Amino acid sequence: MTSIRKNKVFMGLLYILVFFLLSEWLRPVIELTETGHHRLFLAFVALGLIMAFFDIPWWVTGPLKLFYILWFIVYVYTGNLFFTADSIGFILEQASISLSALFSQDWQATTDVFRTVLFFALLWMAIYLIHYWVSFRLSIFLFYLLTVIFVAVLDTFSPYSGDAAIVRIMVIGLLLAGLLHLARWMERYGAAAKTDKLLVFSIPLLLLLVASTALAFYLPKAEPIWPDPVPYITSYSGKGGVGEGGVGRIGYGVDDSQLGGSFVSDDTTVFRAEVEEGQYWKVEVKDVYTTKGWELSEEDAQEQLYRNGDEVATDFPPEGEERSSALVDMQLPFPFVLYPYGTSSFLMEETLDYRYDPIQQRFDTLQENAAFEPDVYEVFYSEPSYSLTALRETDTEELAELPPEYDRYLQLPDELPERVRELAEEIAAGSDTVYGQAQAVERYFSTNGFEYSQSDIAVPAEDQDYVDQFLFETQRGYCDNFSTSMVVLLRSLDIPARWVKGFNEGEVIDTVDGYDVYEVTNNNAHSWVEAYMPGVGWMMFEPTIGFTGSSSIDFDLEIDASEPEEEEMPDRPEPEPEAQPEQPDGGTGTDAGPTAGERFLEFVSEHAGKLIAATIGLLLFALMLFKVRKKWLPKVLIPYYRRKKEDAETFEKAYLRLLKQLELYGIKRAPGQTLRSYAEYVDSFYGTKEMTELTAVYEKSVYGGDTESVDWPKLKESWENLINRTSG
Amino acid sequence: MKATERLGKVIDNIEKVIIGKREIAELSLVALLSHGHVLLEDVPGVGKTMLVRALAKSVGADFKRIQFTPDLLPSDVVGVSIYNPKDMQFHFRPGPIMGNIVLADEINRTSPKTQSALLEAMEEASVTTDGVTMQIPKPFFVMATQNPIEYEGTYPLPEAQLDRFLLRVKMGYPTREEEIEVLTRSQSIPPIEELESVLTLEELLKLQEEVRTIRVDDTIRTYIVELATQTRRDPYVYLGVSPRGSIALMKAAQAYAMLKGRDYVTPDDIQYLAKFVFGHRIMLRSEARYDGITAEELTERIIAKTRVPVQRLVNQ
Repeated sequence: MTSIRKNKVFMGLLYILVFFLLSEWLRPVIELTETGHHRLFLAFVALGLIMAFFDIPWWVTGPLKLFYILWFIVYVYTGNLFFTADSIGFILEQASISLSALFSQDWQATTDVFRTVLFFALLWMAIYLIHYWVSFRLSIFLFYLLTVIFVAVLDTFSPYSGDAAIVRIMVIGLLLAGLLHLARWMERYGAAAKTDKLLVFSIPLLLLLVASTALAFYLPKAEPIWPDPVPYITSYSGKGGVGEGGVGRIGYGVDDSQLGGSFVSDDTTVFRAEVEEGQYWKVEVKDVYTTKGWELSEEDAQEQLYRNGDEVATDFPPEGEERSSALVDMQLPFPFVLYPYGTSSFLMEETLDYRYDPIQQRFDTLQENAAFEPDVYEVFYSEPSYSLTALRETDTEELAELPPEYDRYLQLPDELPERVRELAEEIAAGSDTVYGQAQAVERYFSTNGFEYSQSDIAVPAEDQDYVDQFLFETQRGYCDNFSTSMVVLLRSLDIPARWVKGFNEGEVIDTVDGYDVYEVTNNNAHSWVEAYMPGVGWMMFEPTIGFTGSSSIDFDLEIDASEPEEEEMPDRPEPEPEAQPEQPDGGTGTDAGPTAGERFLEFVSEHAGKLIAATIGLLLFALMLFKVRKKWLPKVLIPYYRRKKEDAETFEKAYLRLLKQLELYGIKRAPGQTLRSYAEYVDSFYGTKEMTELTAVYEKSVYGGDTESVDWPKLKESWENLINRTSG
Repeated sequence: MKATERLGKVIDNIEKVIIGKREIAELSLVALLSHGHVLLEDVPGVGKTMLVRALAKSVGADFKRIQFTPDLLPSDVVGVSIYNPKDMQFHFRPGPIMGNIVLADEINRTSPKTQSALLEAMEEASVTTDGVTMQIPKPFFVMATQNPIEYEGTYPLPEAQLDRFLLRVKMGYPTREEEIEVLTRSQSIPPIEELESVLTLEELLKLQEEVRTIRVDDTIRTYIVELATQTRRDPYVYLGVSPRGSIALMKAAQAYAMLKGRDYVTPDDIQYLAKFVFGHRIMLRSEARYDGITAEELTERIIAKTRVPVQRLVNQ
């Protein structure tokens, strides 16, 4: 019988496949490190594999490879095609530089040539390893798996795109693994390794591979179920900021045209604010609803430029004469300032311009007409207050008489389903003032079974409306869902409304001179609603369940004091701790909020899916461990019993443990089989006599009651020998 | 000299005469040591008598033989009082039962009356005639034989009486080689004549005492009871093993353990002896006979399915 390993055609095929697999490693490395001479590296791999294939002795291949490496250095670094005196001098010089750098541990001083040599050494090692795996072990799975992981990791975390590579690797790897399995199988059953026979056996393998690849290629593929983990991971490194909001990570982002989907929480700090009282920090507004998200209308507006300390004009004029000040310390770079309601002016050490666009309502910071990212600035503001009397007189009739510039805040897409409008009518039915209708819509979510959640949130389908989906199908979402829906509902009622983006208060972390220091993280990124009350002005609304932001109302009605109380404080569920941290009223910052138990329960309900998945994962892992326990148990048992007291009791326990292990190994003892006959069987199986010896002592101890004669230290060796065999 | 070596010598001695029947010799010795009796069941001419004689000679015991016939009377077994005109008194003439080792040949040929006289003597180790009770000299060991082939004109022993035998053993034919060896040996002087005793009666009595001290662990006792209970529950069984059977198994196991040089009984002893102890104590239903199952096979089945105790009992 000729061994399969001797079949040169077959082995040659394997080596060619290995070459392709190796080149998949080389490609991204070379691409990412911007190394040139891809072909020459590949040639080195090919050379190594060919020499390994022909079993050329090491004393030939070693010098040959070394020669190749030297030639490569000479060719690449000096440009000489052949060794000249110059090039040899170059090599010697490089060697001395690198060696001295190496010995002085001055890694920076090592040269490119040295790194090239190292890379070659790595390739050399890889070739040797693969050669060993293929021709001695006839197994490639580990390398195959590593290749897949390598490319997947690079594809995820680096600019390298492994889309095509992963398909190539799958095909090559499966073919290689299949052929090697075939080889092992033929060797095991002693099948003659004739080329024609191999061909016959390989045909089903090839057919399967072609069929599965073709199917995989042409069948529709599902979108990834999990959000891209990369932004989440990179957020830990403190990156992030504008534009890096990425898909599925909470935080302030620029693009809102595609809302929906789950969020991964991200507690990267955005800024810290020293304020008297927690504020909602507005960034900008958006006015065009597209059925999928928000965009900014392209109309040009008259931009205003302000300087440090200039009185700014927003839709929310500051209340009264007194101004509060807030110190904002940015941790992430944003080219604009965040501002609370009722802002009057900004102050910053640097001299710069604040460009305010009344449509977007964002204060861009500019220094010499270039975007500037402020570090620390002070905001002066006074929260606007609204007269309840005036609000109660907001007549719905007045909506029709609004000037045309409010039209942009009444925009709705034509595709908006009719049932949304019907719902708006229904919600507003009981109220006859504009304010009353707006309040009804604001409250609607907290009383109709809507659920606040950041995970498992739907993305609208192609022909689906984002608001419609939330209102009628999922009823589950986070701020974007609630605020967008409120804006759309208000607009359906002809109330001008717009969508606001910014941050909520954040969490008190410290108190300085009577000011609370709030830390605002990406988790505090938020969106809410501004609506126009005829005769009163713009007003903010907070429809999201669990959030407490609201406009300050001046209770100037001449009626019983208890009524406005009710008016102002609609029943809201307790704020959710991770989304809306409780505000410590004394400003001590030590208020613990919900108890640990509650926090735990909330954590559990928040992460139920993940916890279940983790539990199942752990269970599966435990089950797997249990399944393969015969493999690892002896390794644990031996040191365990070594440490135990050296008496008959330990011996008996150890013996019974051995019985269990043998059973696991597959040497079953029938219920009616005595220990002695079992021991004889075990010994005949392993070709030992230790089991009989152990059994005799055990019988004497248990049946004979003679525990004195048990010499466990002496028997230990036999026991260990046997239990070790069971793991094989 | 240790007990096991002495007993080993006895067996070696017997083996000089009986070829390839070491197992039977061992079992006989087991019965002898545990005050029991053996029922040998087999066709004539396989060496039953020779075995008993060899055993008797080896231990220096008095050997008696009773050939049971249909007309044998109880007095022919236990003895008879004869009037002596000289002193005008009845003198008791002891029957053949008054020996150390008695071979009761073809016990099923005689009338139940005579059979019961023998069995009573076996159980009590004494005989009572004319109101006088006489002890049979110790040790007392009966080996009864029964021919399973000829049933005509026989009186099969009732189950209750079979219970009195510790073991029922089947002799079986020798193997080809053994039989050739038997032929070779029988050409010369019958070796039985040259056999010498290797154990005195006193030593034997002492060993009988020693057997009682062999340790039977609680696990083993539980095992024996479990086996006996299983025979009572088996659907094939009409009448299972009695508690006397359990005792018999334990005692036999003690003797066997001693024979094997141990001072404690192991489950192996129990398993080995169970079929000899239980075989004649189980009455099978007719279904078993239709299915071709014997009591020995049934015992083996029960052994195979009954869990062997391998751990110390918890309450110990």
